[in-house]
Amino acid sequence: MIRLDGAGVTVSLPASGQARTRVLLHPTTLELAERRIAVIGANGSGKSTLLRLLNGLVLPSVGQVRVHGLDTARQGREVRKLVGFVFTDPLAQLVLATPADDVELSLRPLVRDRSERRAQALQLLAGRGLAHVADQSVYDLSGGERQLVALTSVLAARPRIVVADEPTTLLDLRNRDQVRDALAALEQQVVLATHDLDLAAEADRVLVVDGGRILADGKPAEAIGAYLRLVRG
Amino acid sequence: MNLFGLYVPGGTWLHRLGVGWKYLFLLALTVPVLLLALPWPSLAALVVSGLLLASTRVGARLAFALPWALWVLLAVLAGYQLAIERPDLAVVVSANLVTAIYASRLLTLTTPGPVLIDALVAALRPFRRLGVNPERVGLAIAIMVRSVPMLLDTVAQVRQAARARGRDRNLFALVTPVVVRAVGQAQATGAALAARGLGES
Ligand SMILES: Nc1ncnc2c1ncn2[C@@H]1O[C@H](COP(=O)(O)OP(=O)(O)O)[C@@H](O)[C@H]1O
Ligand SMILES: [Mg+2]
Repeated sequence: MIRLDGAGVTVSLPASGQARTRVLLHPTTLELAERRIAVIGANGSGKSTLLRLLNGLVLPSVGQVRVHGLDTARQGREVRKLVGFVFTDPLAQLVLATPADDVELSLRPLVRDRSERRAQALQLLAGRGLAHVADQSVYDLSGGERQLVALTSVLAARPRIVVADEPTTLLDLRNRDQVRDALAALEQQVVLATHDLDLAAEADRVLVVDGGRILADGKPAEAIGAYLRLVRG
Repeated sequence: MNLFGLYVPGGTWLHRLGVGWKYLFLLALTVPVLLLALPWPSLAALVVSGLLLASTRVGARLAFALPWALWVLLAVLAGYQLAIERPDLAVVVSANLVTAIYASRLLTLTTPGPVLIDALVAALRPFRRLGVNPERVGLAIAIMVRSVPMLLDTVAQVRQAARARGRDRNLFALVTPVVVRAVGQAQATGAALAARGLGES
């Protein structure tokens, strides 16, 4: 359960020099409880800002964001343990050289014994059909493999919520389907931003963001309809 | 190509040697020659690191090959020393740079990545009193090692941009944009680490 509350959560950049204060998210009150939530909207509409609020990578200028009762501003560390975040570009988030090393890195806080940690990392990769690339350089993997490795690393930390920011935008059709299937199979609550309207249509709830405001919010059919009317007039 | 090389499993004496000793080798091969700045010691260190690297039996290409961007960097550095009529320093600077890479490969080709991090974290523990977070710094250094190929690529790009404006003879004109971009990459990595709750303990 995620809540954006207080007087409405606002994100703004302070004025500096000639630039005036800029509002990235206008006052928003939300309660996110559904298992599958999709966020859609044009480039620059504020999807990433909204998603980054959910794990404290962006903090509200006004209001509070609570994840399972934890305040993202005051309890950021605990919040990030609950919320796994998948970035658009997996290379930005794979911090070590090989899939096995990277998954092992996620397991560091959970498993003290090194050989046990290694074994678990290899097992998690094998579970996603990635055993054969476990010891390759992440630079030598396909886009889909990279994103699946990134997802494996995120899940290794056992988050209760997975937030994914356009996880399939950089992928070709086949890789996109793989990542989609992997996300669909998760037990966790998933909040994802996407330009893939088919993917959004599978969600329980869809939010449409435009100019830093929630323009529509509801069942996929209505919300996607509202988005199409916005774009196509 | 990976500048520092990925771990290659094997059974040679360097594979079995404790990671602490390998870090010491790295320091012993690189720090004295930096301080001495004399051609013969620098060449000797290069030969020793090359012989040690050969003894890891990981294959000549993995052990010795250098990415082309590094050749460019070497040419720029050596060319600069020759231009100011210091052939001795041209030898010293080039040899030291290659020694540093080969000595680092001794470590990274024969030691799994997580072991390198564990060793760094342990070595940094005494500095905790000075406000150093060993877990975070260990991670940061491991990430730096991974991002060196990216940095070399940045150097090559910045150099091209500088050349387009006829400023590639001025090393300082190269350094500033390279640093700015490296900081940008470090910030992106920082966000990714924060999102994974790493380096915060
Ligand atoms: N740190 C920042 N500094 C300045 N502007 C930002 C920053 N983060 C986001 N923005 C701006 O906020 C708006 C929304 O961005 P974002 O949430 O990334 O949109 P989306 O993910 O939908 O493309 C954009 O106009 C973007 O340029
Ligand atoms: Mg975005």
